[in-house]
Amino acid sequence: MIKKLLREPLVHFLILGALLLFASNLVNNRTSGDTKKIVITAGQIEHLEYGFARVHQRPPDPDELKGLIRDYLREEVYYREALALGLDRDDVPIRQRLRQKMEFISEDVAAQAEPTETQLRSYLNDHPDKFRVERHFTFSQIYLNPARHGQRLNADAQKMLAQLNKPDTEANVSTMGDPFLLEPRSQDVSASDVARDFGDKFAAALGELPVGKWQGPVESGLGTHLVYVSTRTDGRLPQLDEVHNAVRREWANDYRLEANEKFYEGLLKRYIVTVELPQPAAGEKAQAGVKRP
Amino acid sequence: MKTNPVVITFLFTLGLFVALLTPAQVRAQETDTMDKDTAAKLFPKQAYSPAAGHDYPTHVYWGDTHVHTSYSMDAGAFGARLGPKDAYIFAKGNEITTSTGQRAKLSRPLDFIVVTDHSDGFGFFPKLFGGDSKMLAYPQGRRWYDLMHSGQGATAAIEIITSFSQGKMAEGLLPLPGSSEYRAAWDETIKAAEEANEPGRFTAFIGFEWTSNTGGNNLHRNILFRDNGDKASMVEPYTTQKPLGSDNPRDLWKWMADYEQKSGGQVLAIAHNGNLSNGRMFPLIESFTGKPIDREYAQTRAFRERIYEVTQIKGDGETHPFLSPNDEFAGYERWDKGNLDLSVLKTNDMLEFEYARSALRNGLKIEKELGVNPYKFGMVGSTDSHTGLATADEDNFWGKTSSSEPSPDRATHPFVKTDKAVIMGWEQAASGYAGVWATDNTREALFDAMQRKEVYATTGPRMIVRFFGGWDFDPKDAQSRNPANPGYTKGVPMGGDLSNAPSGKAPSFLVAAMKDPMGANLDRVQVIKGWLDASGQTHEKIYDVAVSDNRKIAADGRCKTPVGDTVDVPNATYTNTIGASELITVWKDPEFGAAQPSFYYVRVLEIPTPRWTAYDAKYFGVTMPAEVPMKGQERAYTSPIWYTPAK
Repeated sequence: MIKKLLREPLVHFLILGALLLFASNLVNNRTSGDTKKIVITAGQIEHLEYGFARVHQRPPDPDELKGLIRDYLREEVYYREALALGLDRDDVPIRQRLRQKMEFISEDVAAQAEPTETQLRSYLNDHPDKFRVERHFTFSQIYLNPARHGQRLNADAQKMLAQLNKPDTEANVSTMGDPFLLEPRSQDVSASDVARDFGDKFAAALGELPVGKWQGPVESGLGTHLVYVSTRTDGRLPQLDEVHNAVRREWANDYRLEANEKFYEGLLKRYIVTVELPQPAAGEKAQAGVKRP
Repeated sequence: MKTNPVVITFLFTLGLFVALLTPAQVRAQETDTMDKDTAAKLFPKQAYSPAAGHDYPTHVYWGDTHVHTSYSMDAGAFGARLGPKDAYIFAKGNEITTSTGQRAKLSRPLDFIVVTDHSDGFGFFPKLFGGDSKMLAYPQGRRWYDLMHSGQGATAAIEIITSFSQGKMAEGLLPLPGSSEYRAAWDETIKAAEEANEPGRFTAFIGFEWTSNTGGNNLHRNILFRDNGDKASMVEPYTTQKPLGSDNPRDLWKWMADYEQKSGGQVLAIAHNGNLSNGRMFPLIESFTGKPIDREYAQTRAFRERIYEVTQIKGDGETHPFLSPNDEFAGYERWDKGNLDLSVLKTNDMLEFEYARSALRNGLKIEKELGVNPYKFGMVGSTDSHTGLATADEDNFWGKTSSSEPSPDRATHPFVKTDKAVIMGWEQAASGYAGVWATDNTREALFDAMQRKEVYATTGPRMIVRFFGGWDFDPKDAQSRNPANPGYTKGVPMGGDLSNAPSGKAPSFLVAAMKDPMGANLDRVQVIKGWLDASGQTHEKIYDVAVSDNRKIAADGRCKTPVGDTVDVPNATYTNTIGASELITVWKDPEFGAAQPSFYYVRVLEIPTPRWTAYDAKYFGVTMPAEVPMKGQERAYTSPIWYTPAK
């Protein structure tokens, strides 16, 4: 139950909202209260020691530790006063950094989400195009090098075709045609693999050819071919278990984007936003206002 | 304060950006529906499965062994925000939003890539950018942080690279192996590879780059794991910073051996950019000791570094016009002004120890002295992209760094500039890829193919190249329907060895090249031979073995007629009205010396095509300065086949 609750973006949002509220109260108390207390805890000191040791490969000696604490105190005082003065507000790197931190919080929460099988199934159904299995072919081809046949190319191709399509032919496909560096037979290859080896035009032509008969001539990026398509499996929507990992990846991605957006929308709701666009007449003035030293 | 929107979004680096990507097209398993009777009728003399009957590789797999992401400290500072996950998504052929907010997609997917982020400073960038207080405690850290947050990321990047290579980075500033941030970055890298790896479909290698760069001299190596995450995570990447790491390759090789012993796994190392090493990549005298390399060095290097990255964005490393004055195709995409950070300028005496061809030659010489050839390497191309985008196509080139992603002025912006020299943006080469003849698209099969050097380099186009050497190839073998059959039956493939020459026989080679199905026609296929004579001198010679358009090859083995040129520079187009779609021949060495150790490799040249600068000029409507090359002849280099006389 808790696990399921933890998956809900709304719950994430509420938890984060509460955290933020708590944090902002803390900051307000620190900076606006009459009694300003700074407590440097043992944990913070350990962290300082650790940081020092990481750089120097040894723990700090007592004097160095005092120095670290003094420096930390100074930083804390300045940090609080700077916030009180609003020095963070017009500082671009600080604003960006804080925005990033918020985005990280949002990302981290979203990354915890685990989909159920039902969610994945419906995601697959809702996004068929993302997972569609490409059209596949099993085919044989005989290569005719245009440079070797010249003017006779078409006549030679027709002659060969007639021989190949004779009933009960004993023609040995693997020895016909010209030397060629691709295998004579391609088994269960996707349309994009065909395009990669033979070029786009050939892959497109393969989609149009009738099955079970020598055809041609068909042009490729390499020359001319006679082609026998033995099977053509049309594209289809796969079962979930065939593409489980991919669906999970895409689901998580969408979920993350959505959760981030909801998180932002939730925060945005706390504000009444007014955008004062520059007036056309006051265009010059507005532009001058954008310029900054 | 001026802010750069690129900088604002830097932190999305941490893989969070995946959210905005176009989802991967997913392919599922399908059952084969071919009916057995049809098959039997169709292929009466052949086994049903095309792979049956021969166990040799029938497919060349395309990849990039060298891709950096935002996890590399320099890449991150240059503005890369795409992490390893994004690099894989892009390599698989999906459309992606780049670090500069543009949409990018490969013309075709790659079959594998290796994300090779720099081991030094792993996890450095995200920490620094996030304003980690420990890092900001260093004046350098503070300065770079401020630079990056005020829109001057490129300045910060250059400073980071320079201070790193000059050893001027404050001690303790870089996260070191053993620290939690270092571990986290390595774990993320492994996790991204494990998730992207789809055996049989797409291979995501686990890897990193060991960036030995002392004094700005490039001795970089990429380390590839044959293994999965369970083994790779038993170690953390080896660094170059003392005392945990070392900039000496001998120490890297020790680390590799230790890993293998500890895990039972396997790793290999691929060196790159000898052209920026100022004479140190292929030494006769070790720069670390000043002494001639010894047998142990030669043996270990030959064992650990079996392939070399010969072409990439920072220049082509096959050969140099100074070294190969009779090679009119030498000098392609040359970077020869100095070392990597241009702190020391180049002198001619350095070149011999920087380029692949001269190294292959010197290898023969060393073998004579030490009994082992340290430079017996195969060749691959890769990009060394620092954008997470493995692009090497002239018409789809996304630059070396995020600051050189497509823009109207990327070509005319200095890429590296010191008081000594400048390398301009236009000098970046849209290169290269690795072609691997493997039996399957898996980590294991691809790794093993690399180890047996059955690989070749291209400057971007995906031409298919076969190269076999033996003693009995016959011109008829070039007429075979499937040249691989006689190739593997009668000879050894690229990367292989010949010895024991039958008396009176010269080696013959079956050479075949087919154009990229989506690219330009071929101009010619060449065999490049290097050998050691009786007096201990090395030589090289180029033979044109097959040329297009019925041109003649003269008695000296060369075709002096250029293929022609159809490039229309203003429109950035060319036509395949010249050149050949396929060139196949059997070539026999006419000047074979049975007592001379030799190597042979194939170079395939395309017809001239527009360079990426021409596509840029057309797309952005800008005029390039007169010095900018606007076209070129792309090419492939195979791994050599070596001939060693019987002892």
